[in-house]
Amino acid sequence: MSTTAPLNVPEIVTLENLRRISRQRALGYGITLMIIGVLEVLWFGGANSSLETTLELGYNSATVMPSIAAGLRVVALLVGLVLLAPVASGRVRALVASRLRFTTGLRGLLAIVGGYLVVWPLALWGGVNHSGALRTMTIPVWTTGYVLGALSIAAGALLAWRRFDRSASPLLLTGMMLFILGFLVWVARGSNVSGLQLQITGILAAAVSAATFLIFGSLSGTLCERSGVVNIAIEGQFMTGAISSVMIVSAMNGSGISKLLGVLVAGLLGALLGWVLAIMSLRYQANQIIVGIVIVAFCTAVTQFLMFQVLDTHENLNGAYALPVWAIPFLSHVPIVGPVLFDQNVLVYVAILGVIIANVALFRTRWGLRVRSVGEKPIASETVGVSVLQMRYSAVILGGFIAGVGGAAFTIGPGTNFTFGMTSGYGYIALAIMIFGRWRPYGALMASLLFGFTIALSANLNIYLSQLVIPQQFISMLPYFITIAAVAGLVGRIRPPAADGVPFSRE
Amino acid sequence: MRLELRAITKRFGSLAANNDVSLVVEPGQIHCLLGENGAGKSTLMNVLYGMITPDSGQILINDQVVTIRDPKDAVAQGIGMVHQHFMLIPVFSVADNIILGSEPLKPWPFIDHRSATERIVALADEYNFDIDPSATIENLPIGQQQRVEILKALSHNAEILILDEPTAVLTPQEADALMVVMRSLKDQGKSIIFITHKLKEVLEIADVITVMRLGEVVGTTTPEESDEAALATMMVGRDVSLVVDKPPAQVGEVVLDVKNLFVQDDRGLTAVKGVSFEVRAGEILAFAGVQGNGQTELVEALTGMRAVMAGTMELNGKNLVGSSVRDVLDAGVGHVPEDRQRHGLVLSLSIADNLVLDQLGSPEYKAWWGRKLKAIEENGKARIAEYDIRAQDESEPLSALSGGNQQKVVMARELSRELKVLICAQPTRGLDVGSIEFMHRQIVAIRDEGVAVVIVSSELDEVVALGDRVAVLFDGMIQDIVAPTTSREDLGLLMAGSRPALNSEPRS
Repeated sequence: MSTTAPLNVPEIVTLENLRRISRQRALGYGITLMIIGVLEVLWFGGANSSLETTLELGYNSATVMPSIAAGLRVVALLVGLVLLAPVASGRVRALVASRLRFTTGLRGLLAIVGGYLVVWPLALWGGVNHSGALRTMTIPVWTTGYVLGALSIAAGALLAWRRFDRSASPLLLTGMMLFILGFLVWVARGSNVSGLQLQITGILAAAVSAATFLIFGSLSGTLCERSGVVNIAIEGQFMTGAISSVMIVSAMNGSGISKLLGVLVAGLLGALLGWVLAIMSLRYQANQIIVGIVIVAFCTAVTQFLMFQVLDTHENLNGAYALPVWAIPFLSHVPIVGPVLFDQNVLVYVAILGVIIANVALFRTRWGLRVRSVGEKPIASETVGVSVLQMRYSAVILGGFIAGVGGAAFTIGPGTNFTFGMTSGYGYIALAIMIFGRWRPYGALMASLLFGFTIALSANLNIYLSQLVIPQQFISMLPYFITIAAVAGLVGRIRPPAADGVPFSRE
Repeated sequence: MRLELRAITKRFGSLAANNDVSLVVEPGQIHCLLGENGAGKSTLMNVLYGMITPDSGQILINDQVVTIRDPKDAVAQGIGMVHQHFMLIPVFSVADNIILGSEPLKPWPFIDHRSATERIVALADEYNFDIDPSATIENLPIGQQQRVEILKALSHNAEILILDEPTAVLTPQEADALMVVMRSLKDQGKSIIFITHKLKEVLEIADVITVMRLGEVVGTTTPEESDEAALATMMVGRDVSLVVDKPPAQVGEVVLDVKNLFVQDDRGLTAVKGVSFEVRAGEILAFAGVQGNGQTELVEALTGMRAVMAGTMELNGKNLVGSSVRDVLDAGVGHVPEDRQRHGLVLSLSIADNLVLDQLGSPEYKAWWGRKLKAIEENGKARIAEYDIRAQDESEPLSALSGGNQQKVVMARELSRELKVLICAQPTRGLDVGSIEFMHRQIVAIRDEGVAVVIVSSELDEVVALGDRVAVLFDGMIQDIVAPTTSREDLGLLMAGSRPALNSEPRS
């Protein structure tokens, strides 16, 4: 080469340095975290030092954390610290018998239990009121701002300095959540006087409640798409499950067995719709999206008919019966976490169990391996004797069942009667959540909780923002706005199953 | 295991893909199945593997008639197949791919990954394969992926292995390694059906050669009784010239000048890393290299289909970087794309429409009311005659044509414009000997008219036969530009990324 002009050599991107580039992303995330921290210090820390916020930690006496005697508090604190030690330090882990493997799950469990045992006595010392039990907690706004800000700046600086590429995203996400917490504390400032306490537990419990049908929906989408079929009929399965469960429970006057039956029928009708989708798109190879949309249109029409022709005249068929709420002993008393996760209606537990079972089924069992294989490269599965259609049928029908049960979470889950249009597009949002959750059950769970949180937030912020000029409808747009942002931007370079939505024929 | 196929017949409509085909494979035999594309080799093997049900005929294993309805039956009978396009799931691990369909279970329904891994390691040791069961398929080189396929078949206790054009995707060194593997399988008493159209390999490894043409067996022979020319004649049914008749190049001015080109692939990785070359009028620059070393991205960048990160491309001194595909075509670049069905043609349109696909904007075919149908039709008739495209008439949809004739349509269209540069990616992929001969003659003819020609091919034979100079691509860089007379061993080393000591030609 005889060029004398300086050559413009761009950076060469290879698989090896893609990792380095993700470390550069860690730098960006760290800086973002530091900016968030500065914002927290300036904004929330700048509040008048006399203002305080009262957080409500349990919304009824059952969810209040019990008080314990001062001597026992020390014991709880020490036990908690012992449990936390192996999570925090590798040196401690080396001391423990080598047969015990510290998997992510075990570490998580230790962190939760140990953390609780540490926080409980500390909280009791810090802010006991209401006859010795921990029900509300009053904290100064500006201190909160400074503490959150300092934590955020420190975490951001550490991230920017050490560039942990794997913990970058979780750290940023935690930072953002804490920012929202700080914002809520700031918004509700003065609530120790006004009595408008910050319903932190209420918001989070509502978030989990709102997330329930999203968990079912996105789990359904995940199962179907892992097998290579796009289940866009989730919305229709939601509607069908919602109305059928209400009608069955009401017809039987809300007896215990009727509730079980209601959930089962909701699931079975969802499975039936899944079977229709499977027949049309697998046997007759019709376009999956179009079949799905047609199923939704059909379900809309049927529920409309039932709503305005049947339920209008037979109001006793559209009653407000709720599934039982189970408070898990002891766990439901953990401040915040207790009422949010362990004092919910049965369907919430079913949803979380469903996620765990689906994850095991997809990644540990023969069925899961085969389902994933037909979603990636069906022809390869066929050549080793795996029936593509059989796997897809099973996944789509099972997915339909799950989405149908999710429909019940609209009505008999929280115990409201059916109103036309109550599913309001959440069946489609569930597919967005599935993408955000990267076609993984746990991802679907986490993403659903995040979306549920935005739904609950938009419902609760109105109380505090009424003095602002933002119309309520704008705040109600928040979940949808986050959907678009998440699907378009945050998901980045993830890959759907390769044969997703592609019909399969042998020849 | 002794395998016999007796009088297999399979028709698709009026076309007999297999007509009364009989074949015997003895235990421990390497049986080569030779034939042009469309001769019915793949149909026959798909019948044997249960992917296609024959209209009539019998399959006998150890002299017992068996029915094979689907691949599961075939596997149960001890038949294993390594497909040309690997039947592996790219995002799965090696172990998951091998156990899929016959997963070992600890209590149902959980997969016993540990015993699966142990079994795979034991099997790999037995055949001297160096394979990490936990590696993800898509991160493995092609040669390794092929071994996983073979291992998969062996793990199903295959006694007879069908290898469908296994060397098409390999470097010469990898192909040699595969021959070693095949011999060791044979020593273990396995039978192999080896499908190929590469005559050299057949003569090197076969015990018995069966040649097919137009769905029928035209003869059975052995390497001792035959040679390349005889086999080629059997395959095509007439004498074919296996060497490209090529006068020395009459080299003119530099037409295409590429300097320091960088291009990204779809994943955002740098695929072309600083490629520089010049092509002069009247010469053929042929790019050799194993697929996936930047060829696709290089061609797409040259033709305006892919953005250029850095570097310059000049056609007769005129900048091409940042030009649209239309601009590039108008500047006088002809493009025969790698995947003709995806990029070169519209299969549902007629032959005549496809023949003017990139010229619909020219006044010849465009009028204020739309297309000049008459002119398009006449052009279609003329080209079909000129290029001997086998079709009923010009209004037939392109999808009705065979691969070779489809490629002729692309070539005919590109050559019907005034060209300065012709870029051909994999010009003869999937074509039979007769069509290859035709394409090669066309390419040499256009060179002699003074057009600069760039060929990209993964077939080393083709690169050496056509190229006036040979550029070897490895890992997105030009390893060297050498004379086509360079030995195949040295070219193979270059393709594998090492630099043998040889006298490279000065880069013009």
